[in-house]
Amino acid sequence: MEESSFESTQEFYDEWLKTYKATIGKFIEMPAVGPAREKSEKMMKGFSTFMNLYAAGMDTSSNLQTVFMEAMRKVQEKTGTEMNGEITPEKYKEFYNTWVQTYSDTFKEYSRSDHFVADMGKLNSYYMDFQQYQKDMLEENYLKPMNLPTKTEIDEINKELYSLKKAVKELTSQIKELKEKK
Amino acid sequence: MNGLNLIEDHDKFKCGMEVILKAPGFSVATTPSEVVYTDDKMRLIHYIPTVEKQHAVPVLIVYALVNRYYILDIAPDKSVIKKLLEEGFDVYVIDWGYPSGSDRYLTLDDYVNGYLNNSVDMIRERSGSDKITLFGVCQGGTFSVMYSALHPEKVKNLVTLVAPVNFDTDKGILNLWAKGLDVDKIVDYYGIVPGDFLNSGFLLLDPFRLMIDKYVGMFDRIECNPQDIACNLRNEDIIKNFLRMEKWIFDSPDQAGETFRQFMKDCYQKNLLIKNEMELNGKKINLKNITMPLLNVMAEFDHLVPNDASKPLSDAVSSTDKETLIFPTGHIGIFVGSKSQKEVCPKISAWLKPRSFLNGSAKEEKTELANEEKPELSKEKRIKNIRKNRGSKVSKNET
Repeated sequence: MEESSFESTQEFYDEWLKTYKATIGKFIEMPAVGPAREKSEKMMKGFSTFMNLYAAGMDTSSNLQTVFMEAMRKVQEKTGTEMNGEITPEKYKEFYNTWVQTYSDTFKEYSRSDHFVADMGKLNSYYMDFQQYQKDMLEENYLKPMNLPTKTEIDEINKELYSLKKAVKELTSQIKELKEKK
Repeated sequence: MNGLNLIEDHDKFKCGMEVILKAPGFSVATTPSEVVYTDDKMRLIHYIPTVEKQHAVPVLIVYALVNRYYILDIAPDKSVIKKLLEEGFDVYVIDWGYPSGSDRYLTLDDYVNGYLNNSVDMIRERSGSDKITLFGVCQGGTFSVMYSALHPEKVKNLVTLVAPVNFDTDKGILNLWAKGLDVDKIVDYYGIVPGDFLNSGFLLLDPFRLMIDKYVGMFDRIECNPQDIACNLRNEDIIKNFLRMEKWIFDSPDQAGETFRQFMKDCYQKNLLIKNEMELNGKKINLKNITMPLLNVMAEFDHLVPNDASKPLSDAVSSTDKETLIFPTGHIGIFVGSKSQKEVCPKISAWLKPRSFLNGSAKEEKTELANEEKPELSKEKRIKNIRKNRGSKVSKNET
């Protein structure tokens, strides 16, 4: 079997992203004008947030595919000769054991690499940006106009509650100490 | 012969499925206990003694915030807690509970100098012992190290079990991954970091084994001899034990955001604890303040907390009485594996017993039996013990 990799797929994504940034991306990141400029700028920011996540997702997926291709190649190398001819139940079992061992080892090796750490860090960071953006938009454009409480407001109350509880605990402990001294 | 093997595999699957379809009831945390103190969502659990006389110094087990304490009492025949009780120790455990949205601002200081310190004080008050033995497990071990450095006057002995203190190692995958995480973004978005989010990270450590092979392995262990009643019972045990572990693995409390932020940044990313540069509420944690006897226990094949993460503790403290034990098992195997009951618990008990005396206290006599056989309590006496504890509730099993 001819060796395969996902390099060309990766190149395609890179090229696609470059083209996006040079064309539509520029238009989307253009400063907004007019009475609704604040809102519109925030809305437009969502495109770049999504694009970052999409690009990181493509990178990760392409890298993982390459790792799995490598694992598949190793499995084929190990089992290729043995699996010729009649396929017996023992061979199914052997094949399963080889498959799981090889995939597990190959993935573990990749997961220890700087490449994987950087990839996952980037994907996670862009995912959080995207989720945060969605939350902000939901609060701004739906919850606030509907006069409903937002998570941000609940968090403010939680913070206040936390400080109050802490103060009460400290005061209670001081009262207890004073009582014991008496 | 080959056809027979295929039938045998199919039969194993069928027998296993039959047991699962019967929905076998299983329980965890079955050792009788009582809740003696609560603070917000935290509960301090006290275990009902099983021997007539106990060692004078009580033992407080501190488990991690990730997953739940009952891995130490997962089944009656795989219970670290039960074993410690049988060895005559007065055992307490902290159950951190399930933090919710209102707990997002809880800090590491609240956990260590708040909940943990209050629990220690409560145990000292109940037992009459000025000092206790702190038995920290995994992240709970890290908390115990921090506590012992900040409040050495309250800790008689420190036992750490698979506890990380040096986070700058490339031996553990979690240590490598943590470096690339933008912790602030995670905490700022979630507030309370979901247990499922962390679980997906743990599954990613070895997805093929943890998401496929583990389940194949369960059916592989099934024996198929429907006429043999003992075999059916063994199958039921296999499935029940599997389900217990499955429950524990995915019973992952969410994490208080600010605590997660400081633990990840100060420990995993900056490695401040071992450098004596970490602070809790402005107070520096100096590991040299740890002067009490230390037992540092590790698992040789620990993939979550490699030995390089735990070993440096022994050199970082000032204790002169210190010992390191390494068992040929894994991070979870050290609690539930066959070596746990046969080797780990007995060796920890043997180390603790001579160090569980109260110096110059009237309670010293309580420990006279420290190195003797402990007569087991009768059922009636156990029930009497439970009733004696006024105002406390005997906990129900976690099912």
